[in-house]
Amino acid sequence: MEYFIQQLINGLTLGGMYALIALGYTMVYGVIQLINFAHGEFFAAGGYAGAIALSYFAGLGYMDTHPILCLTGAFALAMAYCAYLAVGVEKIAYKPLRKASRLAALLSALGMSIFLSNGMMLTRGVYDAVYPSELFQGGFDFGMVTISYLQITIVSLTAALLIGLNILVFKTKIGMAMRATAQDKTMSALVAIGSNKIISLTFAIGAGLAAAAGIMYGLYYGSVKYDMGFVPGIKAFAAAVLGGIGNITGAMVGGLIIGMVEIFGAGYISGEYKDVFAFIILIGVLYFKPTGIMGENIDDTRV
Amino acid sequence: MRKRVVSIVTLCLILVPFLCGGVYAKTLKIGSMSPLTGPYASDGTDIKNGVLTAIEVMEEMGGIPGYDKIQLFPQDTACDPRQAVAAANKLINLEVAGVVGAYCSSSTIPASDVLDEEDIIMITPASTNEKVTDRGLPYMFRMCGRDDDQAPAAAKFMKESLGAKTIFIVDDKTTYSQGLADGVADAAKSMGMNVVAHEHVNQGDKDFSAILTMAKKANADIFYMSLQGFSPAAMMTLQAKRLGMDSQIVTQDAVFQPRYMEVAKDAANGVFLTYGFTDPTTPEYKAFEKRYVPKYGKIAAYATYAYDAAMSLLKAIKAAGSTDSAKVKAELMKLDFQGVSKHVKFRANGDSGSSYIAFKVEGDKFVPYWEPVNGLIK
Repeated sequence: MEYFIQQLINGLTLGGMYALIALGYTMVYGVIQLINFAHGEFFAAGGYAGAIALSYFAGLGYMDTHPILCLTGAFALAMAYCAYLAVGVEKIAYKPLRKASRLAALLSALGMSIFLSNGMMLTRGVYDAVYPSELFQGGFDFGMVTISYLQITIVSLTAALLIGLNILVFKTKIGMAMRATAQDKTMSALVAIGSNKIISLTFAIGAGLAAAAGIMYGLYYGSVKYDMGFVPGIKAFAAAVLGGIGNITGAMVGGLIIGMVEIFGAGYISGEYKDVFAFIILIGVLYFKPTGIMGENIDDTRV
Repeated sequence: MRKRVVSIVTLCLILVPFLCGGVYAKTLKIGSMSPLTGPYASDGTDIKNGVLTAIEVMEEMGGIPGYDKIQLFPQDTACDPRQAVAAANKLINLEVAGVVGAYCSSSTIPASDVLDEEDIIMITPASTNEKVTDRGLPYMFRMCGRDDDQAPAAAKFMKESLGAKTIFIVDDKTTYSQGLADGVADAAKSMGMNVVAHEHVNQGDKDFSAILTMAKKANADIFYMSLQGFSPAAMMTLQAKRLGMDSQIVTQDAVFQPRYMEVAKDAANGVFLTYGFTDPTTPEYKAFEKRYVPKYGKIAAYATYAYDAAMSLLKAIKAAGSTDSAKVKAELMKLDFQGVSKHVKFRANGDSGSSYIAFKVEGDKFVPYWEPVNGLIK
């Protein structure tokens, strides 16, 4: 039982991170029907930005005196930076192709992914960027079950971001404009919604959430690396498809499922097959319910 | 008409030195193969830097007679067998005199098959799998030790020094890590220890919480971590500590990288690993340190082996006075000198012997702790 609870906690932490990344995929798909394969690189870039910001604060000595403030600052900086990066990428790589075939935009996204990951390698080096270790040391130890403060922070922060996003999309004017653009770009333009602005905003929000996931990842695993975006990116994409791509609630649920399946597959069956289990679930869902478990085209919940 | 002839002749005369330049400026071409991108790029870069240092030293010592300069053609294998074969073919087309590399055993083996067809000498600084030299290729050499030396040394250390009875093994299924993990499992069993589990993770994994929870439950005396590269090993160590695992972590040569402690921080303290013994007090090592550190930073796992491999190759070419592989090989076999990493003397099969001892991580240093013959190092 304790073993099960420990694995559940592990799964929740990992799933939460996947969910945050999956949201970006799903939001962008909801608005312009593009699978943004460069999204995993926003996650990595966010991790790097966080590492740089935190090391800078640590160098100034603020880490010891105001850790929470430093962390908030790092999150704000990294999220803002990635939002800016994503808007730029959208302008350069996707906007000119908006009228072209979907394949062209998809290839452009793949190219952007390789470009960004190699760009990070060349500018930040091939070695891991290390996170300061003083944050959130220790945790609750119940013998077999250990919950670190870090895990609690990650899970609660993830929940807060998800709730915030839900409020933004379903309760505000901006959210309404996003949902309208997702439904019909032309018609929403006729009622004076600037679809280009909304698309940029969607990219910015999605990348901001990925950046937040990147910092959490760096804090949790201790370091970030230029190639770290690829695998979580693919997993998060699977999570988005699993939940029903274009559906926000679906992305969250999908992320948690993929994280759980991976951890329980590794914990109870075998570590080497954990990716297999995660993707078997995906294939199964696509086979029996191609719209994903939460459905793809319910206009109310679609961004 | 005559004016034209004169001008053409003049033009030709002007061109002569340029044409001759191409003929007389001879460059000795050396290849290196290591992962410069991908998850093992850091180790691969160390190898490239080690070879570059050797070339620098050789050129300062007067270079190689008959050649104006020595040029390195570093190739990226990405630790991928297909890319390694492509890199080998590229080096063949460049007509290199010899190759230092590759890093992953799974790259070295197929690449050496290709190079062997062209009789090009290959010296690996880092591939420890037995098959590298056991296939009997005439021009395959190895600077580092072998897995079947390392595995028994590790098992002996765990039994005699740590008094272990149970072991939990994890590897990431690469030719290197799995081969070594299997070797440790066999050696441990034959010494009467109990291998409670032998689990696998995937290359590129960052989250090991599931496996570590399993290992924590098993509560073996030793958690033997066999992973390709220091970066996943550092992450695993950090996560193991956060999970409150009590087993003693023992790992191997791929983790011998000062950055391991940077990433794993306090969690690395007290971890044991086996690695070939390099005496840091020799004048050779000190000279290397003086030259390498300001340029490339801390000396890492394979920089010294790569330096010695490149140095052996260049020395042999210099002694042979030719790049003919048979002659260079004859000179390589005659080599007997104190290198940076160890004393270099090749055996008939291309191996250069092993010197595995156990190191303990203390702070930001790997401290020699135990050696197979005399036990604890004081």
